[in-house]
Formats: sequence, structure tokens, C-alpha cells
Amino acid sequence: MTAEIGLAPPAERKRRRERSPLWFAWRRFSANRAAVVGGAVLGLIVLMALLAPLITPAGPNEQAFLRNAYEGPSAAHWFGVDDLGRDFFTRIVYGARVSLSIGFAAAFCAVLIGLPLGALAGYYGGWIDWVVMRVIEIFSVVPPLLAALLFGALSGGGFWTIILIAGLFGWVQVCLLIRAQVLAFKEKEFVRAARALGASPGYIIRHHLVPNAISPIIVGFVLAIPLAMMLEASLSFLGVGVPPPTPSWGQMINIGTNFMYFYWHLAVFPTAALAVTVLATTLFGDGLRDALDPTLKGS
Amino acid sequence: MLSFILRRLVSVAVTFFVVSVVIFVMMHSIPGGPFDAGDMPLPPAVRERMMAQYGLDQPLYVQYLRYMAGVLRFDFGVPFQSPGETVVSLLASAWVPSLVLGGLGVLIGAPLGILLGMAAALRRNSWVDYLASAVATLGLTVPVFVTSMLLILVFAVWLGWLPSSGWGEPRRWILPIAAYATIPMATYARYTRSAMLDTLNRPFVTVLRAKGLSERRIVFGHVLRNSALPMVTVFLPMFIGTATGSIFVEAMFRIPGLGSYFVSSIRTRDYPTEMALMLMLTVMFCLAYLISDILYAWLNPRIRTGGRRE
Repeated sequence: MTAEIGLAPPAERKRRRERSPLWFAWRRFSANRAAVVGGAVLGLIVLMALLAPLITPAGPNEQAFLRNAYEGPSAAHWFGVDDLGRDFFTRIVYGARVSLSIGFAAAFCAVLIGLPLGALAGYYGGWIDWVVMRVIEIFSVVPPLLAALLFGALSGGGFWTIILIAGLFGWVQVCLLIRAQVLAFKEKEFVRAARALGASPGYIIRHHLVPNAISPIIVGFVLAIPLAMMLEASLSFLGVGVPPPTPSWGQMINIGTNFMYFYWHLAVFPTAALAVTVLATTLFGDGLRDALDPTLKGS
Repeated sequence: MLSFILRRLVSVAVTFFVVSVVIFVMMHSIPGGPFDAGDMPLPPAVRERMMAQYGLDQPLYVQYLRYMAGVLRFDFGVPFQSPGETVVSLLASAWVPSLVLGGLGVLIGAPLGILLGMAAALRRNSWVDYLASAVATLGLTVPVFVTSMLLILVFAVWLGWLPSSGWGEPRRWILPIAAYATIPMATYARYTRSAMLDTLNRPFVTVLRAKGLSERRIVFGHVLRNSALPMVTVFLPMFIGTATGSIFVEAMFRIPGLGSYFVSSIRTRDYPTEMALMLMLTVMFCLAYLISDILYAWLNPRIRTGGRRE
């Protein structure tokens, strides 16, 4: 890419210098085919989740098709009907709602915890940094999935509990990303100038350091989403996550294993939905990371 | 080296103590007990007798001290769910499937992953490279029960080649081992590739090429050895991933292994079994830490004296 810029004629170069960083980020992102496909698929799934009531024949918990229970995919029921007479396509689409909202909410929680801790640790250093880093060390020693399982099983699960648990085990990466960015910026000239002009540390962090850390924040947020979705599905699969009748893919996979020899659709569709969504979100997040901040690449 | 190992052993003991206290307190602080009315409709007098029999009426620290005194004598108590056995005998039989399947999964998956990663690094942007990154991305992002499900659907349900569940004759082992193998394979494929690429770009490789060494000798004699360090670092997350994965693999394939007891013992408030499992996991993870630290120090003399990683 740099070679291209070097070879361009002078007039072209002058025009390119006016491009914003966002434009370059977009160019880097769109050059990454896997990320674009991932983003498109994720967008489609989000759209389906948002429009769920419009594209499904019945409510997610309505046993509207009891007479057709266990029926395989057909024109009327795209993904068939489940064991309790519910349209399975509806269940999958509403499952996307659950999965995505837990993913986004947990990622939001992760940023909510990680952003202030990372900014404070990076800016003040000293004992605050020491404490935060020790806490992170503890979290990095404990295997997150196992600890989340323990919490989930002890608390009995539930929608909000899962969000809290996923947020609790997702903030470390966000915190480290932001801390690194703040560390890199806190001795820059404009921050020193602000300090010399009498700006308080809180003002500097809020108005100078956090806005400059916007790309690691976005990256941390997006990368936390698939992890939270995976956590939710894993816990629900073992029966300690989102309880029925709320549709959750992990829970559907677990039920599907009982029927897979006779009613394959009950196993195939939730498995595919979970795999595709987690994969698409991860590819999108990785692409975003490489595009917004090339220095983070390959971590 | 010896003092390094000794220091590490002390920290293992401290971790063991801290984890045991935390788990014990957490376990008991959650509302509900093993003989609650929901599961077992018992007259209050009977329940009280049972609680007393298992020492559950004692203050928490007494219960803790009693239990830990037992642990030191390798007595992990009696599982509430099957009082005719001891926890040790229960878990002793559960060890075998987990160890055999998980162990074989790692033994097959890790070398495959390393080979795949090497091939990918040496043939960048070829089909091998794309295959390796596809395997790595899939294995690291998609939960292991999804991979298990896909394996079952393809090889058991559609093709009908292999049984989908159970434990017994080796034919039943193939699918769970394949599911286990995806974890180390994905981890090693990704890290071997990036470690090898890192080393291949270092100046000494150019020097070796300039000296006229064959590509084979450069790769196997120099690059591989210099890439070994990051691969050792991966051992720990890979081990943890496999151990955690066993809970899901065993649930999926209906295997009576250690992982299958993990969730059930928590849900039924089977304190002795739960505690024994958690302590065993802690010891396993600490040992995995220790081994990876020792390997690390052994391979990299620079950190041996410091005694601290990073």
C-alpha cells in the first residue's frame, strides 16, 4: 500500500494527503475480504433480529403448530417445527436476539469496567496501576469459561446474570488496550500543554486521552462481543445459562442432541446459527482491529 | 534451577490454599443446600439428622478444617448423591475416559497443528496457509460443543460410519478424540505460524541463506529451534482449553468422565464432590503452570535467574 503511494504522481499524492484517517481505515478494512464478509453476515443477522416479529409466523414461545410438532423444513416452516410445536425458524431468529443482545450488553459492561480502570491505571501509574495489573493477573490466571461456569451453576443463570458474568470476564482485554493507548499519549506535547494550562487530570483523561483511545475502545468492544456470545451459548448448553422458554442457541443445541437421529433439523440449525454468528463477529472484529490500529495486528 | 522450582512449588501451595478457601466459602454462601425440599421432600427432623450426619450443621470454618484435614489424608469425603461410594472411588473411575480421550486428542492435535502452522509459514498465501488460518479461526472461535455436534451430524447421523456417543470399545473414541484434537490443533497452528514467520524474518536467517545453507537445514536446524519458545508458552492456554473443553465434549458424547461431574455436582450442591473436583483442577492447572515455567526457563536462560515471567 505504501509502495503505491510512493509511486503515484505528485498531483495524486497531494490529493491523497487530504484523506482522513478514517478513509484509510476503511480502505484497509475493505481490502480484508474475510472481514467484509463477516461484517455483511453480522449485519444481516442483526437486521433479522431487529425485524424478528415481521419475518416470523408466530411468537417465539407460541406453541402454534402443535399438530406439526417435529416436522422437518418445508415452505411453511423454513427450519421445521420443534418438539413443542413452535416454529423453529422463529426460535432461531429470536435466539439471535438473545445472543446478540447478551453479546452487546456484555461488551458494553466490559468497556464500562475496562475503560475507567485502564485510563486511571495508564494515567496515574504508581499504586493504582499496580493494583489494576494485579487484578488483571488474577483474571488471567483463572480460566474464564470455567469460572463463568462455576458462577453460572452457583447462581442458576438468567439473562442478566449471564451479561454480568460475561462482562466480568471480558473487561481485561479492553482495559489493557486502553491502558496501553493512554500510556502512549500521556506524555505527548498536547497533553503536557493542557497540563501546563492548568487542566485537571480528570479533564485531561476525559477530553484528551479517552477521545484519542477511541479506536482501541471500539476494537475492545467488538472483540468482546463474540466472546460473550460464546460464553452464553456454552453456559446455556450446559443448562446453567439462559433458562427456557427464552430461546437460546446453546440451549437449543442441547435439546437437539436428544433428537438428532430422528429430527436432524433440531440439531443442525442452532449449531449452524451459533457457528456462523460467532465466526462472522470474530472476523469482523479482527478486521476492524487491523484496520483501525495496524500496530495491534497479530496479537 | 532448583531454587526456581522450589519457589514455584511454594506458590503452588499458596494458590491451592487460597483457591480452597474461596471455593469453599462461595459454595456454601449460595442459598440452597444438598437436602433442600425441592429435590427431596423430607420431614424437617430427618433433614436435620442428615445435615448433622454430614457435619453441615457445624460453623463454616469447622467444616472447612475438617474437610481439608481429610484432603491431606487423601480422603475427599462421601458424595451426597451416591453415599455408598467415596469421592475418591467415584472420581478414580471418571479419570480414565477424560485422560485417555483428552490425552489422545492433544497427542494427535498438537503435532498436526504444529505441522500445519509450519507449512503455512513456509508457504505463505498458498492453500496450506489459508487452510491453517481457517482451522485456527474455527477452532479458536467456535465453541467445542459446536464442533462436536458437526462431527456427530456428519459422521454419525448422515454417513453412519461411527457411533455418536458412549464409552467402551475404541470405535466410540474416534469422534470425541477428533473433537478434543481441534483445540490444540487450532492453537498450535496459529502460534506456530506466527512464531515461525517472526523467526524467518530475523536477520540471522538471511545470514544463513547467504552462507549457502540448504532451506531444509535452515528450517529444521535453526528456525524451528528459535521458534520453540512461543510454542511452549502456548502449552498452558492449550492445556486449560482442553481441560475446560472436556466438560462440553463429555456432555456432548455422553462420556462418564470428570467433566460430566463438574456441572452436576454444583447443581445438586454435592459439596464434597464439587470441592474435590475444584481442588484437582487447581492442582492440575498449577502443575501445568509449573511445567510450562520450567520448560520456559530451561529453553530461555535469560529469565532463569529472574524467576519471573514476562
